[in-house]
Amino acid sequence: MNKIPVIIDDKNFEVDPHKTILEVCREHDIEILTMCHLKGLTDIGACRLCLVEVEGINKLLSACTTKVAANMVIKTQTERIKKYQRITTELFFAERNHVCAVCVSNGKCELQNLGYKVELDRIRYPHLFPQCEVDTSHPWYVMDHNRCIMCTRCVRACNEVEGAHNWDVMNRGHQVRIISDFNTPWGESTTCTSCGKCLHACPTGAIWPKAIVQGQLEKNPGMVNELVERRKMKL
Amino acid sequence: MSKKKLATVWLGGCSGCHMSLLDIDERILDVAKLADIVKSPVVDGKEFPEVDIALVEGSVTSDEHHREILHIRKHAKTLIAFGDCAVMTNVTGMRNYFNLQDVFDTAYVNAASNDKEGQIPDHPSLLRLNDKVVPLQDVVHVDFVIPGCPPDADTIFYVLFEFLNDRIPNLSKAKKLKYG
Repeated sequence: MNKIPVIIDDKNFEVDPHKTILEVCREHDIEILTMCHLKGLTDIGACRLCLVEVEGINKLLSACTTKVAANMVIKTQTERIKKYQRITTELFFAERNHVCAVCVSNGKCELQNLGYKVELDRIRYPHLFPQCEVDTSHPWYVMDHNRCIMCTRCVRACNEVEGAHNWDVMNRGHQVRIISDFNTPWGESTTCTSCGKCLHACPTGAIWPKAIVQGQLEKNPGMVNELVERRKMKL
Repeated sequence: MSKKKLATVWLGGCSGCHMSLLDIDERILDVAKLADIVKSPVVDGKEFPEVDIALVEGSVTSDEHHREILHIRKHAKTLIAFGDCAVMTNVTGMRNYFNLQDVFDTAYVNAASNDKEGQIPDHPSLLRLNDKVVPLQDVVHVDFVIPGCPPDADTIFYVLFEFLNDRIPNLSKAKKLKYG
């Protein structure tokens, strides 16, 4: 396949067309922050962390959903981008109740690591402190909406990889919530296969197995892509 | 160089940050060379005096904390929010998801360990809880923050040592940024 030239952060690259800016950047070790992207799942551009500047376009574009084009001039590390990444991260923390000290994911959390990367030391916005449900009805797993950032990686892993589509999304704005079936307790789900892929896909401590306590959560989000790749081999 | 004056304060928190402060161990001697600790839960002293640096642990949860933090702001050149509660309310703020009356009832009246005669304490000498717990920055200007629950002793010493030597610390560059 013919390669096309692009310029990323003032460096010239010859890249495959039909790939997204994110894929190209990751191939060339150019760091782009993401939360809703998980290799193996469809990209949806929900978290707005992978925003990049493209010359000739006034607005910022999400790298995960924008394909490269010939002679595209892309910037990934500008002050404008860093400013928005910091704001986005602060809003993640302000929107729900992220109490790291009591979280199963403490120390191994993608949201914490994101905070360190954008140098977040304080949150400049008022916390909403919403009253969120903790669904413990499933025999093995817990869904804690306090810690959910609405990346919808669980929804896509359940739908696209497991094929169960137990998870979905309801409401809009700050009232948006992940739901099991038609907003019924997870333990009563008729679609959930208890496969645990959502748990591994989840970047925070929102979905976790009951058998663990604070700071013990070990996740393997890479397993989702491993499965997807293995299935391709069998075909 | 004259010695600086240092204070540490315990507002709405568990005192874990102060425990972590004590964990700087013998490095307290390096701090003592540069500063006098003039007010702290671990030293004697009544009125909060004029200080160069105030490390304030915990969030603002009551009328008393509110008065205290305003007083501290007036008398401290550098006010440092010390620990996750002071910076972003953390565990102390977990009661914010509920109505204050429900929180009182749960703790004092309906608790499983209660003898059914539980009453909500209301002695006039007690502090009055505010409806919502807020971080220090919602009440006063905060000059520097040390997140962490608790912050590591190394981090605390690093920040103190930088300020005592008239330098501004940078937690991110020093790779000491941590929450939880």
